[in-house]
Amino acid sequence: MTQHVVNVVMSGVFHAAILFLVAAGLQVVFGVQKIFNLACGSFYALGAYVGVSAVQAFTDAGGPPWLFVLPLAAAGLAVGAVGVIVERGLLRFVYDRDETFQLLLTFALILMMEDAIRLTWGTAPRSTSALYLVYGQVRILGAIVPVYNLIVIGASLAIALGIGWLLTRTAFGRIIRATADNREMAEALGVDMRRVYAKVFTLGTALGTLGGALVIPATAAMSEMGIELIVEAFAVVVIGGLGSMRGAFVGALIVGVLRSVAISVYPELEMLLIYLIVIAVLVLRPRGLFGGAAA
Amino acid sequence: MTGRVVLALAGAAALAFPLVAPTYHTLLMLPFMAYGVVLLGLNLLFGYSGLVSFGHALFIGVGAYAGAFLTGRVGVRHLEAMVLVAVVLGALVAMPVGALCVRYVKIYFGMLTLAFGMLFYTFLLKFYRLTGGDEGMPVLRPFLLGRDLGAIPKTDYLAGPYYYYCLAVLVVAAICMWRIVHSPFGLCLKTIRDNPVKAESLGVSVTRYRWYAFVISAMYAAAGGALLGPPTGNVDPTLAYWTHSGNLVFMTLLGGFGSFFGPLLGAFAFIYLQDFVMSVVPYWRLIFGAILAIIVIFAPAGLMGLFTRRRPAEVSRG
Amino acid sequence: MILQAEGVRKFYGEFCALDGVSLAIKPGEFVSIIGPNGAGKSTLINVLTGVLRPSAGTVRFKGRDIRGIGPVALARLGMARSFQLVQIFPDLSVLETLQAAVVSRLGHGTRLFASLRRDREVQEGALEVAELFGLSEKRHALAKELPQGDKKLLDVASAFALRPEIILLDEPTSGVSTADKTGIMEILVAASRRIGLKAIIQVEHDMDIVFGYSDRIIALHQGRVLADATPAEIQADERVVDMVIGRKQFSGRPT
Repeated sequence: MTQHVVNVVMSGVFHAAILFLVAAGLQVVFGVQKIFNLACGSFYALGAYVGVSAVQAFTDAGGPPWLFVLPLAAAGLAVGAVGVIVERGLLRFVYDRDETFQLLLTFALILMMEDAIRLTWGTAPRSTSALYLVYGQVRILGAIVPVYNLIVIGASLAIALGIGWLLTRTAFGRIIRATADNREMAEALGVDMRRVYAKVFTLGTALGTLGGALVIPATAAMSEMGIELIVEAFAVVVIGGLGSMRGAFVGALIVGVLRSVAISVYPELEMLLIYLIVIAVLVLRPRGLFGGAAA
Repeated sequence: MTGRVVLALAGAAALAFPLVAPTYHTLLMLPFMAYGVVLLGLNLLFGYSGLVSFGHALFIGVGAYAGAFLTGRVGVRHLEAMVLVAVVLGALVAMPVGALCVRYVKIYFGMLTLAFGMLFYTFLLKFYRLTGGDEGMPVLRPFLLGRDLGAIPKTDYLAGPYYYYCLAVLVVAAICMWRIVHSPFGLCLKTIRDNPVKAESLGVSVTRYRWYAFVISAMYAAAGGALLGPPTGNVDPTLAYWTHSGNLVFMTLLGGFGSFFGPLLGAFAFIYLQDFVMSVVPYWRLIFGAILAIIVIFAPAGLMGLFTRRRPAEVSRG
Repeated sequence: MILQAEGVRKFYGEFCALDGVSLAIKPGEFVSIIGPNGAGKSTLINVLTGVLRPSAGTVRFKGRDIRGIGPVALARLGMARSFQLVQIFPDLSVLETLQAAVVSRLGHGTRLFASLRRDREVQEGALEVAELFGLSEKRHALAKELPQGDKKLLDVASAFALRPEIILLDEPTSGVSTADKTGIMEILVAASRRIGLKAIIQVEHDMDIVFGYSDRIIALHQGRVLADATPAEIQADERVVDMVIGRKQFSGRPT
């Protein structure tokens, strides 16, 4: 029995670790730029595909399998730089527009990226599943857990702490919090919005692409992964509260574990339960657990 | 008066189309007309009330599956019944969902509608014993005006009587919407879009009117959904997926939101462009995404805006 | 007593915006509320118009408790208001704006299939108000294209189109050139008589206007009623003159 529970919880926490990364990217962009980036799922997918290719290239070049996580993570992070292009080339044109148009622009981005990925990698799923168990498995309370999962959970935790440190201890973090709080004031104090926006958006995309890359050994890179993930990420930020990092963390845990529980109990439920919770949260407490003022 | 001339020409073209155009293109008009009905309704919500719903496809799903149920499970094959039941069901679902959603604005409204849409999608997908799961449900050829036309070959049926039936539904829907928009009710809707605070001070309840718009637009979407089923003979859960809702908004924007005929133009352009692009290169999403981006950035008034050079209401952050 | 407030208090967290305000408006009165910025005038207006719920005290309109009932319910009860920062419908024409108010008043708002253009009552009602306010000539102009003074007039005119029993005007002449101010006030007074308005309450800074039109003046200071009397009595009240009007400058001209 405990074995089963541990399995469920551990797989939930693993999923939560990935979700957190994507959600954190969403939150930082929303918090500062007040834009809900629907395309975060597409960046996640991009990271996944790039990750697979990077690992493939790495192993083809003779790199030792047990180091595969390094090129994986590095590629995931590096491709986040595409965020700069998206921000400077597309997003900045709609900063002064109604939210609706910003949302629609990110939707356009989804469409474009979906086909761009298809163009580059084709439609067949790509995976590195052979390397998933390279680090072996561990017994926790009777359940068998791949060490890779623990690595990812650990990495995600480290990143969460890193983000926390960034926001509270660095100058950039202070700027982020100030701009999220009161943009006009931050501008009046001399903050260069264009650079802040570019950096923040890139940070957001990098987190998303990293998340996509890290999930790869556990699942295959597939063309719909982005569109499916956005709904989960959106559930995370609604439950956690729009714009809140803490919210991303707690929300990811809740969604990740609940989904895992739902799948194990009654597979039909899966996302159904999550959607009901999202609706309940939006109705009863729109600002979520840690969010600011609501609608 | 050029407007009326254009309308007359379009009407004449629509009537003559099946007689002069290749069957392929005539068949393409069928989803256009169905989406036309949907978008006429969506425009009430998006263009006239200013609410962006990422879950509107839910009601298309309701209408489509209602039609499938009637023909397949219940054995009622009359298209009139299908459309009617779809509309009633659409209204019944929209009333509570709308009551909940319209209390919120902008992004929260978008998120709530998205959640409801996906809830319905998941329901359609997972409860396969009822709904047929990811394969969906078949839709049997409906009787038109009580006549069983099962003897006619499928394409002749679709490019002939079914085409004209859909056209009639579209015309009726358009006339109804025209009257709604130009009624005292329509004026109140415009006020809540333009300035909700002022509207309330004049005694116009913002949430109530948004709710009306929500329910009416859902009824239109359901009607369109009922019409979408027969041509392919099948309805499936993707009809309710959130990206389908996104495409609806895209179509409205493409044509020009806030204008009456804009959405129809948008549906037409979308369907034909999609068909054309797909025949040339499989990457239609890339091109459509770029088109949407271009519209959002450079031409927010859509195609109608290019033709009439009218600015849509409040495009910039108010 | 058509409108009555008793012991109204409003706190924003720690900050006390209104500290025990009481007032009573009788039918036939034109009452002005004056006071320096921050005195609590806007808060008071919002409490009186049911937009804000007071932290303590009562507000009654025609004997009914109207605390926090919101503008929609209040409009139906017979109270209308205009706004300090002019509120209009930018993409509607003058006539459409007035029509909207009349539609609301007549309850035609649920007529989905009726033609607006052929709704005789609405058309006539709107035209009547347009004429009263001198906006007939501009009735097809879009509200956003009107000069500021006309926007103000439209804001007020649409409130009048509701044929309310009592109207609250939040700085009806602010942002309007001195030359136009009296014009607006005269139109207001004439319109009130025409539609049988029972009382007018205004918040106003321009002392000429205040003294020229009010039956009674209520002076607000730091959330409290400093004085509530006729113009003559107010003029003689040193405290009011001192702090609200400005002693040295007072010669009938605003500061």
